[in-house]
Amino acid sequence: MNATGLSLQRRAWALGLWLSAMVLGLVLIARGHYTADLSAFLPASPNAQQRVLIDQLQSGAAARSLLIGIEGGDEATRAAASRSLAQALRRSGLFEQVQNGAIDAQGSDDGGWGATGRWLYQHRYLLSPAVTPERFTAEGLRGAVEETLSLLGTPAGHALKATLDSDPTGELPLLVEALIPASAPRVAQGVWVSREQPRALLLASSKAPGADLDEQAAAQALLAQAFQPFQAQGLRLLVSGPPLFAVHSRAQIEAEVKQLAIAGTLVMGGLLTLAFASWRALLVAFLPVATGVVAGIVAVLLSFGSVHGITLGFGSTLIGEAVDYAIYYLIQARVGAEAGGWRRWLAEGWPTVRLGLWTSICGFAALVFSGFPGLAQLGVFSIAGLLGAALCTRWVLPVLMPWGAAGSALRRQLGRVARLGVRGLPKLRWPVWGLGLLAAGWLALHHDAIWRGDLASLSPVPKAAQDLDASLRQDLSATDARLLVIAQGDDPQAALRAAEAAAVRLEGLVSQGLLAGFESPTRVLPSLATQAGRRASLPSPEVLRAALAKATRGGPLPAARLGPFVDAVAQARAQPFVSPDDLRGTALAPMVDAMLFRGSAAGEGAAAPWFALLALQPAAGRALDAAPVAAALKGLPQVQVLDIKQQLDSLYGRYLHEALWQALLGAVAVVVLLGLYLRSGPRLLAVCQPLAWAVLLTLGGLAAGGVPLGILHLVGLLLVVAVGSNYALFFDQLQATGQADDDTLASLLLANLTTVASFGLIALSKIPALSAIGQVVAPGALLALLLSGCFARAKV
Amino acid sequence: MLRELVARRTWLWLAGCLFAGPTWAFAMPDLMALLSQQRSGEARFTEQRYVANLDAPLKSSGTLSFEAPDRFTRRTLLPRPETMAVEGNTLTLSRGGRSRQFTLDAAPEMVAIVEAVRGTLTGNAQSLQRHFRPQLSGRAEQWSLLLVPLDARLAHQVREIRLDGQRGELRGVTMEMADGDRSVMQIEPEPAKP
Repeated sequence: MNATGLSLQRRAWALGLWLSAMVLGLVLIARGHYTADLSAFLPASPNAQQRVLIDQLQSGAAARSLLIGIEGGDEATRAAASRSLAQALRRSGLFEQVQNGAIDAQGSDDGGWGATGRWLYQHRYLLSPAVTPERFTAEGLRGAVEETLSLLGTPAGHALKATLDSDPTGELPLLVEALIPASAPRVAQGVWVSREQPRALLLASSKAPGADLDEQAAAQALLAQAFQPFQAQGLRLLVSGPPLFAVHSRAQIEAEVKQLAIAGTLVMGGLLTLAFASWRALLVAFLPVATGVVAGIVAVLLSFGSVHGITLGFGSTLIGEAVDYAIYYLIQARVGAEAGGWRRWLAEGWPTVRLGLWTSICGFAALVFSGFPGLAQLGVFSIAGLLGAALCTRWVLPVLMPWGAAGSALRRQLGRVARLGVRGLPKLRWPVWGLGLLAAGWLALHHDAIWRGDLASLSPVPKAAQDLDASLRQDLSATDARLLVIAQGDDPQAALRAAEAAAVRLEGLVSQGLLAGFESPTRVLPSLATQAGRRASLPSPEVLRAALAKATRGGPLPAARLGPFVDAVAQARAQPFVSPDDLRGTALAPMVDAMLFRGSAAGEGAAAPWFALLALQPAAGRALDAAPVAAALKGLPQVQVLDIKQQLDSLYGRYLHEALWQALLGAVAVVVLLGLYLRSGPRLLAVCQPLAWAVLLTLGGLAAGGVPLGILHLVGLLLVVAVGSNYALFFDQLQATGQADDDTLASLLLANLTTVASFGLIALSKIPALSAIGQVVAPGALLALLLSGCFARAKV
Repeated sequence: MLRELVARRTWLWLAGCLFAGPTWAFAMPDLMALLSQQRSGEARFTEQRYVANLDAPLKSSGTLSFEAPDRFTRRTLLPRPETMAVEGNTLTLSRGGRSRQFTLDAAPEMVAIVEAVRGTLTGNAQSLQRHFRPQLSGRAEQWSLLLVPLDARLAHQVREIRLDGQRGELRGVTMEMADGDRSVMQIEPEPAKP
């Protein structure tokens, strides 16, 4: 036995175990996978509609699309730049499709429309919705030819004349007309331009999925590089879109997490230096923090496979609580130097720390069971982190500094301030009561308007970037398709059949003028059943010739000219059906890929369904409403209307609702645990009172200040209860022992200052998720301490 | 003395005729002023289109209506019902039981053709000059406005458009296509509604 009362063997064991655990953890961390997209904040067990939404958000066409604007210079310069930039992007091979409105370009740079037109022409009798048996009767042919002739002798007629003899019923113009979008960007100088500003426009969708941020970053770097020559001409590049936001958010989260860690370390270091004036004490005080962070990251990595950036940022707040353990230890072991050093801490300080730890774990355990991976990660991280920090404090600190921290620095002064506070605060009890009642009343009055946050409030995209995005979207007429119609089936054919049934109903809405139009993959990829029906309606050459002779009698287009038409129909009668592979190489392939896809399975063993999407275009000057669309689609069980905005809102609503329950459960668990430990009603009440008041005043203050409260504020409140319970227990302990020395009071004040400082830093973060937690915990923790003193019954 | 006076007057009169001449000629601003007085109108039309390789000209008829500043509708009744309605930047085509909307300025040549008629009906000289080289001939009672496209892509389709009219009324539109086809439209205004 040596002076510390620890055997050499035990010291070696404790240190060795801790060191190897840390090394192992660091290795895992270095090999870990880190994400920064919104996926962690989407539900893990979504319903069918949400699953489509999530698939779309993660890998849909929108998630891969960059909106590009070119400003500066004159219109001709911008148009030329748009052409060269589009060419450079296409040549890079990183983009599946680059559109800039130019359809007159030569060669392969026409975006594939030349090939597309030929393809449509070749398959017109399988694709055209007008192909029915009636169309090939004498009466039907007469009507179809008349309609085609009505386009001749107009500016549009020139293009038609080339195919008049082989397509007199006008199937090709019909197909092309259906593919022209109802709303499209303005064209000037042959390229897309903005209606509002002097700006040329492009739309580029990457080959890589939206979630592959490394590939997305590479594509964006290539875009910036390709634009460099035009920058010299005085042109400016504007870029927006989900892939850009994702890449920026990742970079921002990375940078902020680093900044927070550095700033937090510096502030904490400063405070600790003031308190201990010892480098050694400073280093030792950081050990539980480091252990906690490593344990948290490793636990999340092991249970989720990857760590979200927000979780990491949140982790730095753990510094605030974990460093408290070290402060209590270093000061309290020092106090007890005459009476056994760390042993006295073990007897008097550790039980309080342990109880505080259990209450924190109870609080966060509720989050672990959250249906949202993002929240569950925060829960796992906090629990593992606090456990790691506590274990390190319990087993490693006594080995390294058995007698606590030497030197007293400014602790005496801190202690004196604390003592003044402890004496003075109880006098404020009645004013605090009044304030609390005021806050409670205010909250009760406005309880509907308090929780105003939405999913967008979790997004770290700054306002200016959101404005630019909205402006480019309006220019490109690419307003987020708010309403989608989803047709579902067990296989692609079933999904296409369901989409065709939906298209028939939607066509009715278009005729009524409620819709300007809609896009459907069945326009270029009809179901096999439909193709078979069309093929079967094509008559034999003899029958067709007879009908044609009757139909054209007396008309300006003689049947004798229409031999190529009879041949084309005869050929189409033996034509193989169109399959998705036939579309390769045309500009239609990306469209069909985006609109017909396999969803993710609902659960283990369940087959993944196929989805066909129909995008709706609102009639000019009309808002698109889900109700008439849903009414029109009634009776089609395989077809649903997806209101994206409403789905996202309900997603967040569910998220918030779940978090509220979890927070409540967590709070109840904390109270039960305290009750079990204290085994006294009055003591439990005395401990809970300051916590309840701290939550009430924090919430009231933020709500009265007009801060829209969201889920992360709620998580912050949970943290206030977890941290605050330590203070309340401390005062409960004071009452039991009846007295406290300056050093112990100083440790309390110091612990609180570090917590408030670290969360105060986080409140300044530009990442909304982090600043929300900081905004709650910094004032909440301070209030928890002051109120614990205020409501304390002990004489000090 | 008297003779001198008469001679002087004659001289002045002649000079007046000579020099004041151009201001009496019928010019674009005059036509535009006449046209812009008409805020709305209804008319019947008959159209004949001469298309190469067809045995006979294509005939159609129907009604036209316009309402300043930006609404214009062509309703074909024969041989098949068909409607083309322009309002602001939106073009709505209804034919064969289908109705489709398009954005006009997504296709600049479509804008130009619409403006040839809409710009003339509303007396919008700026709009006409943006898309065409206008040449006016005739007088107020019987004028003829020739529009030659400025845009190369439109010129590839349409060689020229000729609008004929009497005072503030449009009476005919002739469109010469680049490939030699031609459409001739005769317009018979309906008396203004009470």
